Amino acid sequence: MNNKWAGFIVGIIIVLALAWVSWQGSAWATKNLGDFGKALEYPLWAAVLGLIANLVLGALKFKDFIKPGVRTELFLKIGLVLLGLGINMTTVIRAGGGGVIQGIFMVTAVFLFSWWLGGVFKLSDSMRAVMSTAIAICGVSAAIAAAGSVLAKKEELAYVTALVIVTALPLMVIMPYMAQALNLSPTVAGAWFGGNIDTTAAVVGAGTIHSKKAQEIASIVKMSQNALIGVVAFILALYFVTVVEKGKEKPSARVIWDRFPKFVLGFIVASILASLVDAKGNNLIFSADALAGLGNIKNWLFAMAFVCIGLELDFSSLKQVGGAPLWCYLIVTVFNTVLALIVASIIFGVLFPV
Amino acid sequence: MKLNEDWWSVIVAAILVILGWVGVIGKAKGLINIPW
Repeated sequence: MNNKWAGFIVGIIIVLALAWVSWQGSAWATKNLGDFGKALEYPLWAAVLGLIANLVLGALKFKDFIKPGVRTELFLKIGLVLLGLGINMTTVIRAGGGGVIQGIFMVTAVFLFSWWLGGVFKLSDSMRAVMSTAIAICGVSAAIAAAGSVLAKKEELAYVTALVIVTALPLMVIMPYMAQALNLSPTVAGAWFGGNIDTTAAVVGAGTIHSKKAQEIASIVKMSQNALIGVVAFILALYFVTVVEKGKEKPSARVIWDRFPKFVLGFIVASILASLVDAKGNNLIFSADALAGLGNIKNWLFAMAFVCIGLELDFSSLKQVGGAPLWCYLIVTVFNTVLALIVASIIFGVLFPV
Repeated sequence: MKLNEDWWSVIVAAILVILGWVGVIGKAKGLINIPW
């Protein structure tokens, strides 16, 4: 067995163990710490344990070895497909419809604001593109797609990736409590998390901390937004070859499908399967036990993804974070937070209440 | 063609769903049942 596979297996075992400890911690706090303990939901435990493990494993020079098993996106996406089994197709269509409208508006407004502000801060065009896509669409994976389209430097990508995680973690924890303080309905709260928090794992984490309904709506809204990633990658690539670096080969529209998040299709199929019920409401394909079991596996996978957010943070990239890009990123995040609250309240509170 | 993480997530989820459909996951419910 080569080192990569050994690292993959050891990494998964460590992530699984930390997910289990985070559940134990959350259960213990709920029992012993009163209201404060109840507020410490498992995504928070998982992310903090991931951060601690990150520091410890880094100090022991063991982090690189287990890296193949630290797969935030993989665990999260499998979990999101399984989440579809618990959501009726009607909800997916209604929330997805609102999510696409919100997504188109938010992606355009936040991208253009970020692009303009990046110019004010005199950032390079490739840095502006990577940062704007990361904030406007879906954090790390969008940053990678944009970096590919505009041929950004490796350091620019690492820098933005670190910023995405550093801002997403506090937002994941603070936003659910802000939503409660603002007395938002679970639907509007979910749409707000989905429209604002950059990285999908933290969106699901914020929804989980708030409520089951908020978790569902946040996930659907974020997936609707993620589906736009290919379109943005294509437009960016086209802009760079026609305006910034004239004369290079024009990109193909195929990038729209290449960048399309395929797990969204899995989620939709799962939701269709979940909607096949008889007159009594029993699922025609799965037994109640099977659905309960798959629901539990989904919770395990989400907890593993939350652990990985903490484990994945690259502290060395953070050392470079500072100056103009940091300020630009923070200002756009505040803009995104306020705008997403207004847009989510209008779309999910008034136009499409789910 | 090299499969990316997106496709892998769909493949793994599909395997889990099939295991649920044939009854394996329902039977193992006790093992994985953690009341989150």
